[in-house]
Amino acid sequence: MNNRVNPDLPKELKEFGIRDWNECYHCGTCTAICPLTSQGVLFPRKEIRLMQMGLKDHLSTCVEPWLCYYCGECSEKCPRNANPGELMMSLRRYLTSIYDWTGLSKKFYTSKVWELAFIIFFAILVVLAFLFVLPPLDPTLTADGGVKVNSFAPVRIVEIFDWTMAFIVAGLLVSNILRMYYRVVWMGTPNGVGILVHIREFWQLIFNFVVQPKFSKCDDKSYWLYHWLLMSGYTIMFILIVVFLPWFQTEKIYPAWHLQRWLGYYATIGLLIGLTAAIIGRLKKQQVKFQFSHVSDWLFLAMLTLTVITGILIHIFRINGMPLATYVCYIAHMAILVPMILIEVPFSKWSHLAYRPFAVYFARLQKSAIQQTV
Amino acid sequence: MEEPRIGVYICWCGTNIAKMVDVEQVAEQVGKLPFVVVSKTYRYMCSDPGQELIASDIQEHQLNRVVVAACSPRIHELTFRKVLEKSGLNPYLFEMANIREQDSWVHDNREEATNKAIELVAGSISRVQYHEPLDKRSVSIDPATLVIGGGVAGMSAALEVADAGREVYLVEKSDKLGGMIEHLSLTYPYLYDAGSMRDSLVHRTVNHPHIHIFYRTTVDKVDGFIGNFETTVRHEDQPPVTLTFGNVIVATGLKPFNAARVGEYGYGRLPDVITSVEFEDMLRTGEIRTREGNTPQNIAIIHCVGSRNTRFHEYCSRTCCQVALKFANQIRSLLPGTNIYDLYADMRAFGKGCEELYTETSRKDIMFMMFDQQEELPQIIRSVDPGDPPMLIFFREKISGLGLEIPADLVILMVGMEAHEDVKDVAHAVGISVCQNQFFIEKHPKLDPVATTTSGVYIVGNCQGPKGIPDAVSQAKAAAARVLATINQGSVHVEVTTAQVNEEICCGCQTCITVCPYQAIHYDLEKRVSVVNEVLCKGCGTCGSACPTGAIRSKHFTDQQILSQIIGLMQMTLKIN
Repeated sequence: MNNRVNPDLPKELKEFGIRDWNECYHCGTCTAICPLTSQGVLFPRKEIRLMQMGLKDHLSTCVEPWLCYYCGECSEKCPRNANPGELMMSLRRYLTSIYDWTGLSKKFYTSKVWELAFIIFFAILVVLAFLFVLPPLDPTLTADGGVKVNSFAPVRIVEIFDWTMAFIVAGLLVSNILRMYYRVVWMGTPNGVGILVHIREFWQLIFNFVVQPKFSKCDDKSYWLYHWLLMSGYTIMFILIVVFLPWFQTEKIYPAWHLQRWLGYYATIGLLIGLTAAIIGRLKKQQVKFQFSHVSDWLFLAMLTLTVITGILIHIFRINGMPLATYVCYIAHMAILVPMILIEVPFSKWSHLAYRPFAVYFARLQKSAIQQTV
Repeated sequence: MEEPRIGVYICWCGTNIAKMVDVEQVAEQVGKLPFVVVSKTYRYMCSDPGQELIASDIQEHQLNRVVVAACSPRIHELTFRKVLEKSGLNPYLFEMANIREQDSWVHDNREEATNKAIELVAGSISRVQYHEPLDKRSVSIDPATLVIGGGVAGMSAALEVADAGREVYLVEKSDKLGGMIEHLSLTYPYLYDAGSMRDSLVHRTVNHPHIHIFYRTTVDKVDGFIGNFETTVRHEDQPPVTLTFGNVIVATGLKPFNAARVGEYGYGRLPDVITSVEFEDMLRTGEIRTREGNTPQNIAIIHCVGSRNTRFHEYCSRTCCQVALKFANQIRSLLPGTNIYDLYADMRAFGKGCEELYTETSRKDIMFMMFDQQEELPQIIRSVDPGDPPMLIFFREKISGLGLEIPADLVILMVGMEAHEDVKDVAHAVGISVCQNQFFIEKHPKLDPVATTTSGVYIVGNCQGPKGIPDAVSQAKAAAARVLATINQGSVHVEVTTAQVNEEICCGCQTCITVCPYQAIHYDLEKRVSVVNEVLCKGCGTCGSACPTGAIRSKHFTDQQILSQIIGLMQMTLKIN
């Protein structure tokens, strides 16, 4: 591990949103006030110090930024206005770029041009595919009076495409998580962690993914709820689209009490509540965590909102028998969804869906390794 | 001797004494002792009504001795002596018993504390019967002043005295005035130019009609006493000159610590490890360069070199942190792209404008890092990898606890200050003492910081302890004010409780001369006896207790007085038990 101080690192990190880092004089108020501070987890002070001294290697082994849910109390109480909470947020962006071996994450976080070009490129690819590769729209209606969705987006083909994309994204995420594991657990725990410990603590990963109990420990619980609704909505929708597409994308219009519609409505409402809370928060800027929005934050919110809105429109137009409107919305939906998934999940903000639960898991591994040595 | 008529006054000191000592009981018990005419208590003896009580009793009962049992005599002995004086009694016919600091404050058993108070007061009553009236004495003052040292403090003191129209002899060891300010580029915290400050001071001093400067000159032994000193000053190659003067202001300053003593820093071995004094000189040229003439990309500043470390000096040199901050600012202005690392043990940016300087500096992209002064000092090594900068500093950073390395092409060592080699010669010449850190000792560290235990000798500037320019100037002007006050009085009172040698008994062993801390005793070769200079004598009593033949009698502390106090006290102890 490189132990040489590097004054250039903080300058480099400014691109990731770090601000006011030099104001910190290590009084420790942030660590004391944080409801998530526990023995051995002394954020955000440790990371600030490593960052101030430009210790990149040490910083890349830190798991703490992922354990912070940015309630913002540290920034509110900071006597120097050093914004420790925003620093942890910026470090999450930075760590994402460190874990990513393709280098694209860094490009997307530090260059708007790269990010927009990538989105537009994939959006155009999707539109072209619909216009020239996939079958044309069949404007006749089904017996129920619904639109024949499977005419222009055959379930089999879309399903194969969904699975392919899921594999690509998962492959990237897994390889990055292995890199995260190498840094956090391999380099971060000098004496190593036993296989049994890995197995014993594995439930942490699942439990934290589903419940996000650490988030609920922040003093303001409302954002845990908003986030959980958004997360569960998204997860349900993802499973419906990838695993159960033939059951979900039907031409038959089921009655309103049917599970297919139920799940769809729940996912949509969950997503909408979560998105509204985040957008209002970022516009009003009353909470510390919403005060400084990085370009990537807004881009993510905008794309996800548009995906949800186009999704709702597809549903309305389909059951009301409006073939052309359905067709256009479907293309728009996919043209936004595909680049969003490709950028956000492996390379940008959405990667936290994997890094956060894995971080809790890795932190447990670290802790048991330390306990063993003691 | 007329029969003693003693008035005894027991103070409550509010509840300070009365809470633990039954003052009425004390007054009653000691009132029965022989020669005690009145015995009273009062809530605050030192207050105006308390003093009036004593004064009216002296008139009414024709008292000729007074005992007050209250706080320490250090606090109020003078107050009560003045009461006696105003009432027409000699102030030395008074004795004070300390029943607060030595009794009520330190005990928790009321009965025993009360008994102890009775015993202490009884001792004082017994002693005061043998007190003798002593007369105040005064000496005339020679209006000239000797200032030793021509730095900022010395020049400031000299100018202050000379501006009042009094003659000043300014003795400087080197061939020019200025002292350490000679090396400074800018001063902290406001970054004023040191050169122009020095020039105007030197210009005024050199051209002042009342200041007589002796360059390349040292001072011999200063003889005499306040108001009447005499010495010989010796120029390197001119005949010695004898000067007479009434007061001495010592402003000999300090010198930079020798950085080569700290092995870890490689000063002297590594060409680009320089001291703060050398860096000041570099700044005055306006260019920051390595020894090879390159512009440094990485500059490290290391604090507390020779200071706050028991291996070298335990004290803090008080100015180096601020100077280091000033350096960081100056480097940032001259070399905006250079990396600046500031390695400190503790940042002590105290004083007007200094914390503000620290805050401002901390925003200038300077990497501040803390090392543990007591555990291990940073280590500077020549780097072996040709891709590296010429030097690497290894150290343990205190906040993160990590062992880190810093690349550096220039390292500035913030050297502290230490005493000159000849400090003891100066101390001996003017008859003052040095502390364990080789700084001159002031008369009282808080209440009399520029005077010394030798009347008429003042210490100002760094020779009294490390300090910055404003503090040195304040001291210089304070001492000048003290000197001018004594000159204006024309004469000063001197201690009357001095030692006296009974020439009949003195065997001439000179033990007293070796123990006297004030050099107040000399040996009369003709009579072969010791002689006390009563102006120099402080009445400390050291000679009296050391004298093997009992020839020395300390006025106001005679054997008879002390023994009668002990007898009075012991008799009361026996009586109570």
